[in-house]
Amino acid sequence: MIRFEQATKYARTKGIKKPIIEDASLTLNRGKSVGLLGRNGAGKSTLLRLIAGAIKLDSGRIIRRGKISWPLGFAGSFQSSMTGEQNVRFVARIYGVDTEELIAYVEDFAELGPFYKAPVGTYSSGMKARLAFGLSMGVNFDYYLVDEITAVGDSNFKKKCQAVFETKLQDSDVVMVSHSTGTIRDYCDCGVVLEKGKLTYYEDVEDAIRAHDKNMKEN
Amino acid sequence: MSNLSTHIRVVGALLVREMATRFGSKPGGYVWALLDPAAHILMMTVIFQAIARAPALGTSFALFFATGYIAFQFYQAMSSYLNSAVRANKALLSYPNVAPIDTVVARFVLQVGTTSLVAFIVLGTIVATMRVETSLHWPAILEAVAMACVFGLGVAMVNCVLFLKYPLYEQVFNIVNRPLFLISGVFFLPDSIPAPYRDLVLINPLVHVIMGFRKGFYPEYRAIGLDMTYLYGIAFLTLFAGMLVFTLSRKTLRNE
Repeated sequence: MIRFEQATKYARTKGIKKPIIEDASLTLNRGKSVGLLGRNGAGKSTLLRLIAGAIKLDSGRIIRRGKISWPLGFAGSFQSSMTGEQNVRFVARIYGVDTEELIAYVEDFAELGPFYKAPVGTYSSGMKARLAFGLSMGVNFDYYLVDEITAVGDSNFKKKCQAVFETKLQDSDVVMVSHSTGTIRDYCDCGVVLEKGKLTYYEDVEDAIRAHDKNMKEN
Repeated sequence: MSNLSTHIRVVGALLVREMATRFGSKPGGYVWALLDPAAHILMMTVIFQAIARAPALGTSFALFFATGYIAFQFYQAMSSYLNSAVRANKALLSYPNVAPIDTVVARFVLQVGTTSLVAFIVLGTIVATMRVETSLHWPAILEAVAMACVFGLGVAMVNCVLFLKYPLYEQVFNIVNRPLFLISGVFFLPDSIPAPYRDLVLINPLVHVIMGFRKGFYPEYRAIGLDMTYLYGIAFLTLFAGMLVFTLSRKTLRNE
């Protein structure tokens, strides 16, 4: 379960103060995967980072039950001077999972070949995404926070992701940000629309998509 | 998430990461961390032996410079390495498990270990090969080292934040910090400086670090002007300021 209680967060850059969420209360129950919809710059990625706990609210609180992943973005949370393998080793250590097992799993999944032992800085964005996706799938979480990542990679890789993801989703849920309503439809049961600092929950993902489309048409 | 075992795990992982990226990319690896200061001391010894007749203290040029240089390094290597602790690990901070303070703790542990190892090897070799037998006074040595580390940590924690917030400050700090090596008493004894100027020199806490450290190697050294209370005060005050700034600027450090 993830519950927002009067959660407020402003984004501040160079004197501009913009609400991401304002006084939002919302409960996301276990067993349902959530699609997060909103216009460009609405703060969807920031919202994922808030859920992950990587950044803090200005006021209110987020209650989390269960193990939540880091936000899985296509930029990756990788240190570019470290090799792919070193990055995987690092994550295995900080999450306390078996290091060798995870290294082997990701090596097999990401299909980076010799690049697995090269600095991440030399990777293409597709390679990074493969590493990021493989890495997070190798660690068991109750919630996976996914930020557009399935949009990266060729069709083979997409198929592979989908297969692994579907087995994962039997015991885990996903909170997904995507501009592709197709992807949201494929993975999510319910939806949340983020618009002007307000979070609106829809039991049916189709309703969420409709609401989002309507928002987009308004301006 | 913020429990102690997570912090310990993360610091451990960061330690390995720092070792791998700091030394792993060059041939020779960690050996350079030891070779670099040793070569420095050797060069200074050779140069000063050529221009001066006797060191300001004792009979060994090597021991005189090594004690000054290494005591100074406990501060200097610490602060310059830790200044960028948060910045260098920015990407890793996107894992919610990793807190900014963990990056500082990891680098602190690694740097204390490295400089201590350098001290053991370099000073050990010098003391063992000297003609005159030296008796070490460990409490004085450890006290000076501890204060240099605490002070370095405090300075670095302040810098971690201020370098991010005010890039101009970084330039100013580096300009001010650079001549510190010359005025901290690595090459000279503050005791021998005439009265009005000596008080100025003694404002610098690192002068006290080096004097205290040398007292541990030279039992006959009187260290006039050494004020450990002042050194403790400055060191812990700086650390407190560092912790305060660090805590208040969590958001900046997380790059929100």
